Amino acid sequence: MSPPRSPWARTPPGRDTADLAALLARVAVGDQAAFDAVYDRVAAPVFGTVRSVVRDPGLTEEVTQEVFVEVWRAASRFDASKGSPMAWVATIAHRRAVDRVRSEQRSADRDRRAAAPMIAYDDVAETVEGNLDRERVRRCLGTLTDLQREAVTLAYYCGYTYREVAGLLRVPAGTVNTRMRDGLIRLRDCLGAGR
Amino acid sequence: MRIRRPEPHTLAGAYALDALDGPDRARFERHAARCPECTREVAGLREATARLAEAAAAQPPAALKEAVRAETARTRQLPPITRGSHAAGRARPGPSGRVSVRRLALALGGAAAVAAVTVWVTGSLPPPAGQPSSSQEIVAVLTAPDAVKLTARVRTGGTATIVMSHHDGMLVFAAAGLRRLPAAQHYELWVLGPGRDRPAGRLPAPSHGMTGPVVATGLRSGDRLGLSVEPTAAAGRPTTPMLLELAL
Repeated sequence: MSPPRSPWARTPPGRDTADLAALLARVAVGDQAAFDAVYDRVAAPVFGTVRSVVRDPGLTEEVTQEVFVEVWRAASRFDASKGSPMAWVATIAHRRAVDRVRSEQRSADRDRRAAAPMIAYDDVAETVEGNLDRERVRRCLGTLTDLQREAVTLAYYCGYTYREVAGLLRVPAGTVNTRMRDGLIRLRDCLGAGR
Repeated sequence: MRIRRPEPHTLAGAYALDALDGPDRARFERHAARCPECTREVAGLREATARLAEAAAAQPPAALKEAVRAETARTRQLPPITRGSHAAGRARPGPSGRVSVRRLALALGGAAAVAAVTVWVTGSLPPPAGQPSSSQEIVAVLTAPDAVKLTARVRTGGTATIVMSHHDGMLVFAAAGLRRLPAAQHYELWVLGPGRDRPAGRLPAPSHGMTGPVVATGLRSGDRLGLSVEPTAAAGRPTTPMLLELAL
């Protein structure tokens, strides 16, 4: 058995993407070993993203598990012509986390969560240190305007809707929309993540 | 506060961030279904949000992997999206001449074959014991862009269906209604080529009247496919007349 792969191992993104796409193709035909390899590759970003949105440790594990079951179930639907495998997995993870939080929120105390965003944002700013990927993302987030950066990070790392973000930042919802879009475009260009 | 309905197109960023809820999300998805530019833009922005996900990476507890494996072991996988099916309510233009896995599985001999192929394709069950063909190979042939279907009668009864990819030099063979054989005999597939005949696989015992699928590889143009009854102690060459011979 090969040693567990470090989540920070640096490989050229092109090769990594091709490998992950090939692994997903094998997962689609029920290859458990390929699924294990996919898990090892993406478990850390999935778990970290879900945790930043849902916060609760037990719920984080539950949602992470659901995300991987969905990756297994829907692997045949991954289409490399529509985006990278990491974007596909991250989209499943983030959407699942956000939907879970929102459905819990509907039945829970809204005020309690109102205190969470700043904590979450600080945590992210904190953990963004000490790793090349994070450094790069942080540097690129730094090229955004304050409003763009806050709109993007509150939505992504805290799972807020644009209307909630508008309420928190006390700006019109339409403004938040355009800032989210402009901010992401700038981030994409800075990271060289666009296609 | 009265909130105006935003222009759908300006919502691409919020959508990529999953910052649209309920009706807003549904409205954007309806719009994007008719707006290839929006779909492309969202895909590009998702590459950026994926990097946000990577920046948030944190090691999950080790026990989570086992829990996930236990759950996937009892989760059936979705079949691929094929022509005639829809993804997220959006019609996808399929490449012309490409046949759906399901249709090919149907061609391979009806409901039992669909069930068998679907099970292997989706991988929720291991192939039956003694099944020589891997699901990956079956999928490779069934989804090959140049896959063609041939059918032929077997002289002693039953129908054979072959799906072949000439480009890959591979075929999937299945048969329905083959005459039952005594235990000491089996059906054997042969590749009959110029100057060489080689065994291409022993057919497994039939299940619900269906035999196969079996994959044959390494086919070259000019090869013919044959089927014969052989004694279980195989000779490596055909010892009885062909019950089926098909130019590929």
